[in-house]
Amino acid sequence: MRKVSLLLPIFLCIVLSFCSQPQQGLDDVKVRLAKEPENLSPVNFTDAQAIQILNLLYQSLLVVDLEEDKLKPALAARMPDMVRQDSVTLFTYEIREAASWPDGTAVTADDIAFTLKVLKAPLLNNEQMKPQVEFIRDILPDETNPKKFTLVCSGYAPEMELLTGDFFILPSNLLDPQGLLKAIQVSELSDDLSELENNKNLKAFAEKFNAIDFKSDKAFLQGSGGYLLDNFVPNQYIVLQRKQNWWGSKLEQSHLVANPERISFHIIPDNTTALLALKNQQLDVLGNIPAAEFDELKSDNKFAANYNLYTPDSYEFTYVGLNSRSPKFSDKRTRQAITQLLDVNSMMKVSQQSYATPTASIIPPSLTAYYNKNLKAREQNISQAEKLLTTAGWTREQDGWYKSINGKKTQLTIEVIYRAGSTNFENAALVFQQSAAKAGIPVNVQAVESNLFSQKSKVHEFDMFFRSLSGNPFVFNFKVLFHTSYANLGGMNHTGFGNQKSDKLLDAINAAATTEEKAKLLKELQTMLYEEATFIPLYYQKERIAVHKRFGNAKISGLSPNYDVSAFTLKN
Amino acid sequence: MINLKIDLRQIWHRSLSFKIAASYLLLLIILIVTLPILPLAYQPNELDLQYTFAEPFTKGNGAWHWLGTDVLGRDVWANILYGAQSALLVSFPVMLFSTSLGLVIGMSAGYFGNDGLKISRATVPVTLLALFAIFYYGLYLPLNFYKLALPSSYIWLSLLALAVILLLLYKVLLPLLNRWRYTAANILLPLDYLVLRFTEALTSVPRLLLVLALASFMQPSVVLLSVIFAATFWTSTARLARAEMLKIKQLPFFEAGRSLGVPEAHLLIKHALPNMLGPVIVTFTFGIAGLLALESTLSFLGIGVPGSFVSWGRTIAGIRSNTSAWWLVVFPGAALAATVWSLQTISYHLLNHFEERKQL
Amino acid sequence: MLQYILRRFLLSLPALWLLVTFVFLLSKLLTGTPGEEQMLQENGGYYSKGSTESRQLVYRNYLNRTGQNLPLFYFSIKASPEPDTLHLVYPAHHRTLLKKLYWQYGNPEAVGRYYQSIKALEAALPVAQKASLQPYMDSLYSTTTPEGLKAIAATPSPSWGAQASELTVAATHLAAQQKSYTFLLPSFRWHGTDNQYHSWLIGVIQGNLGTSFRDGRQVSSLLYDAIANTWWLMLASILIAFVVAFELGMLLVMPQSKRLRKVLLPSLFVIDSIPLFLLALLLLVLLASPSFLQLFPVYGMGYHTLTGESWLQRAGVLSQYLALPVICLTLSNIPYLTNLIYRSFSEERKKDYARTARAKGFSERQVIRKQLLRNTLLPTITVLSDALPIIVAGTISIEIIFAIPGMGRLLVDSVLARDYPVVLAIVLVVAAFRVVTYLLADIFYSLADPRIKHAAS
Repeated sequence: MRKVSLLLPIFLCIVLSFCSQPQQGLDDVKVRLAKEPENLSPVNFTDAQAIQILNLLYQSLLVVDLEEDKLKPALAARMPDMVRQDSVTLFTYEIREAASWPDGTAVTADDIAFTLKVLKAPLLNNEQMKPQVEFIRDILPDETNPKKFTLVCSGYAPEMELLTGDFFILPSNLLDPQGLLKAIQVSELSDDLSELENNKNLKAFAEKFNAIDFKSDKAFLQGSGGYLLDNFVPNQYIVLQRKQNWWGSKLEQSHLVANPERISFHIIPDNTTALLALKNQQLDVLGNIPAAEFDELKSDNKFAANYNLYTPDSYEFTYVGLNSRSPKFSDKRTRQAITQLLDVNSMMKVSQQSYATPTASIIPPSLTAYYNKNLKAREQNISQAEKLLTTAGWTREQDGWYKSINGKKTQLTIEVIYRAGSTNFENAALVFQQSAAKAGIPVNVQAVESNLFSQKSKVHEFDMFFRSLSGNPFVFNFKVLFHTSYANLGGMNHTGFGNQKSDKLLDAINAAATTEEKAKLLKELQTMLYEEATFIPLYYQKERIAVHKRFGNAKISGLSPNYDVSAFTLKN
Repeated sequence: MINLKIDLRQIWHRSLSFKIAASYLLLLIILIVTLPILPLAYQPNELDLQYTFAEPFTKGNGAWHWLGTDVLGRDVWANILYGAQSALLVSFPVMLFSTSLGLVIGMSAGYFGNDGLKISRATVPVTLLALFAIFYYGLYLPLNFYKLALPSSYIWLSLLALAVILLLLYKVLLPLLNRWRYTAANILLPLDYLVLRFTEALTSVPRLLLVLALASFMQPSVVLLSVIFAATFWTSTARLARAEMLKIKQLPFFEAGRSLGVPEAHLLIKHALPNMLGPVIVTFTFGIAGLLALESTLSFLGIGVPGSFVSWGRTIAGIRSNTSAWWLVVFPGAALAATVWSLQTISYHLLNHFEERKQL
Repeated sequence: MLQYILRRFLLSLPALWLLVTFVFLLSKLLTGTPGEEQMLQENGGYYSKGSTESRQLVYRNYLNRTGQNLPLFYFSIKASPEPDTLHLVYPAHHRTLLKKLYWQYGNPEAVGRYYQSIKALEAALPVAQKASLQPYMDSLYSTTTPEGLKAIAATPSPSWGAQASELTVAATHLAAQQKSYTFLLPSFRWHGTDNQYHSWLIGVIQGNLGTSFRDGRQVSSLLYDAIANTWWLMLASILIAFVVAFELGMLLVMPQSKRLRKVLLPSLFVIDSIPLFLLALLLLVLLASPSFLQLFPVYGMGYHTLTGESWLQRAGVLSQYLALPVICLTLSNIPYLTNLIYRSFSEERKKDYARTARAKGFSERQVIRKQLLRNTLLPTITVLSDALPIIVAGTISIEIIFAIPGMGRLLVDSVLARDYPVVLAIVLVVAAFRVVTYLLADIFYSLADPRIKHAAS
């Protein structure tokens, strides 16, 4: 007993000595990451976390300014000039005069060519980005101006402008000082690459390039962006330090800034822990706050004294896919009946509280120019659903709905799948299950492991699924989702939407010259999607973000990562 | 059996905590048994969407939510009752199975050691062949038939083939081989070594890897989880039983019994088993407690447990989306704690009692 | 003794090898390969980044480049109709179709011909017809029954060209040439040393655990980092738990602490019944939150204030961050240990030698501390040897909640990302550590209780 009574005060002493809290660096923005980026390779990154950090280290030709949600020139001096020829499209860019690498040398067309080679060459760790630049077939340097060049792209698609400016530019001097890739042309790097795999120079370069530790090697993780990697502690934190005399800060362009002295990214996997760290002021920025917690924070006065809360409309929406190829759902009226069983308001309530906007179409309601206001948001209406089922030929019996399909008496049952681990989809599916039960339709809800889920949707082995998609306000090319040429096994048109009329409409949208025409066609597409009820958008969610009050100019936006940490300015 | 009844009565009269624990468990069992006829206002998976995260004593859509609701408006009280059902239905069979498996394996390893068990040479290759046949016809083929959605008659066919092959191996091949002097000769089976290495190996395979590997074949289900638990929980009992067996083997009465020629089975069951019952019961109850906790941890991590499975862990894990909903933790947590506490208290008193009797 | 230890150690090597081999094969059973999800999955929303075909090509090249297209093991045993190049067929739904056909018809040549004829027809179809024939083409890739094949053979019209008539012939041929039940015969195939397992094993023997699929870092350095983080946390909590449990056990067994026993034992049971993640969350909310008591930092292991200080200062800062997780782990270990230790004490107390000691005039305290301690060590050793591997294995829930980058998190992340080299290395290290601790346990057994002859093993 004596011993215990002795131990207790000692223990308490130790505990109390811990009371000191970690010190705050005022000009150090602390951001939470839910997971560590898998790697920080500018040509092979895999996750949103990596993009957020790489955007501070590297630059691409174009950048999205989160203040206005608009595409703006970054490394490029202005938006590219586009020329459409029969089978190719040409984009001509000019790089900013002042743009330079950390060693002081200028960014030139050579660097762009080098980057394209690294992205397209075989043998290199570039698989994640490679498909995205496949359409760029060649680069034509300007003979008079080393900063000017033209990208040759095959075919035409509306997103091409965005994509030609959407890869990080690498410094060729730093990564290939011997010029091993000089002899290889970008035009050689398309189609069959088996010959190049034996190229001696390429092999030598690959050996060196693949060995670079694109996570913590400060010497190689250098780009033309405003920050440099300062410290990397695996799975704990990543610290970036502002460059001295960065070229971009002299331009006085509001979308090319590097304001905070240091930015640190802290890896905290659990939400509860991150929230506590925020309340303790150990963090300055926290996104993805659970809805119920966000409500709680809103009413917390002590918290409100230190943090601002934001709820921008995001471009991510949750939708239901119905497999129109399945004989059970091939009748439009059956699918419409099922949409009458979707209690969107309850789904929003259980997963997002009030932080979401119901939508009747794939276009976000916040984009008023394109959103078709005539469509009514989906609401639960069981008697209407039953009516529709009857007109579709189903008859109500004691234990459910039956119909004779291909000579066989079939019961209307629905198996709902969703990606395992996603609570929002699970909750939405359970809400649907309950409404369907009221209408007498047995629903089986099944969480499916992520790999298996994409497999199942690709080979059309599903009745109905819950998923989400994220969009943007600048490009609207829905061909992959809705065109019948993508409806084959393995294609992206999982739900089997589409006919000749809709295919024509999709092509017309891509070809539309004016905003008015595009808006008209998009609205037509929305009506068609609404009628067909295979691809049923439910709601657009709102992001929930907290930013410390000592920072201003957060550039809150609906586009990921929802704030621009490089723009944060310290208030007095 | 009669003894146990008398014992229980004795403990009941002596100890208050035993009384409480036993009555709690009894009450729980009665509740579980009568669940289908209990007049519950809500089913555990019934959503009351107007009343999500309702605090305790909220009048819901129709009836009272005495203990509040979770994110989907599921009634906590109903979930606690049905959760108790699932907890006991999973943990008891799993622990009973794995404890008996552990006891058999551990005791035989401790008793036979490395030089106590002799088998004929021929048994080794025959058993290996049999194992291969079991793997191919009993596991590989049926799994593939299931995955490829081939007719189920194929599964019966392959099982039939398995039966025929096993019959051939043990009824024809083995007797044939045993006629030769070389293959009939006995060799020592280092049982202790094999068991020890096997437990070491098994405990080193992360359970999570097993869960994920199996989940990629089949849908996550309670049965699957139970199988994984049962197949991995026996190791601690086995090691304990082995250690105790080694101790008992050295005791004078046991050595005397062996030299007198008392049958092995009799020795093990009548003399060794009662002697190690104490520690084994402790591991059993702690094992149940561990299982209950593990299930809720898996729910928390979102691995392997299907969302429709009613459990205390599911309700508790609901706290993650709203930390101020204390009722999601307090009530199921209390039920969990009380159940575990009762189990442990009962085993504690039983143990004391056994020991006292042993002294007499 | 030394000879015995050496022998035991050598004897455990084959077990270790078997285990790792088993896990190697098991881990390859998981669906999906590293990077597959990101590479093959276009998140086509408002526009697409790259076509399906180019993604598949990239993915196959990636498999070739990383040697993942090689056979898994030296040999394979498969049902005889299934060729061993099946895993190289992409996309996945073609593979499923082929596998079904192989198993059902048992005739690889006929199946191959039929499959080629489908592909030829698909390639030859004019674009204009493609859309209208889509359902038919889809049905080609999902039909496997003989009746279905007959229907397929009957459908194509001659206007589709020579490929259509070849399809009819191939389908009829396949339906006619069915060799059922060949799958009952296993076939054994030898692949030689050019396989994934061989190259991995050779690497391990040479001390090279490979590189992570995710970030290309050396697996050994990944493991080193993770263990370095877990090590002190776990060691401290286990040691503290053992010391406290022994003290409590001895305290409880004293005759005068009957009251204490009544209070403490049930409350220990209650603590034990709280799942670890809940305990961690509770402590976190109670002791590291401004709304209750703000005693500890919430997460992590300190943040770049640690440069240039002496190791003592660093340990001071680190202990501040690790205090809460250590308390959590200690609390969760104490009940089981205390119960066990108390139980063996009270058993030993009743034995003759304890009575003798008491008769000799030793106080109860002295009897317990001097005489009984040694004998109670025995069951404790088993428990300790079971608990020790946690030092390297880590605890997932604690690591996730307190944001400590340890082995538990590394394992979960690697399994979810299918990063096999890391998963295998973790299993290997944990298993090796376990072998060592069990060996130590055996040695301590024989030291604590000489009656157990180590020759038994």
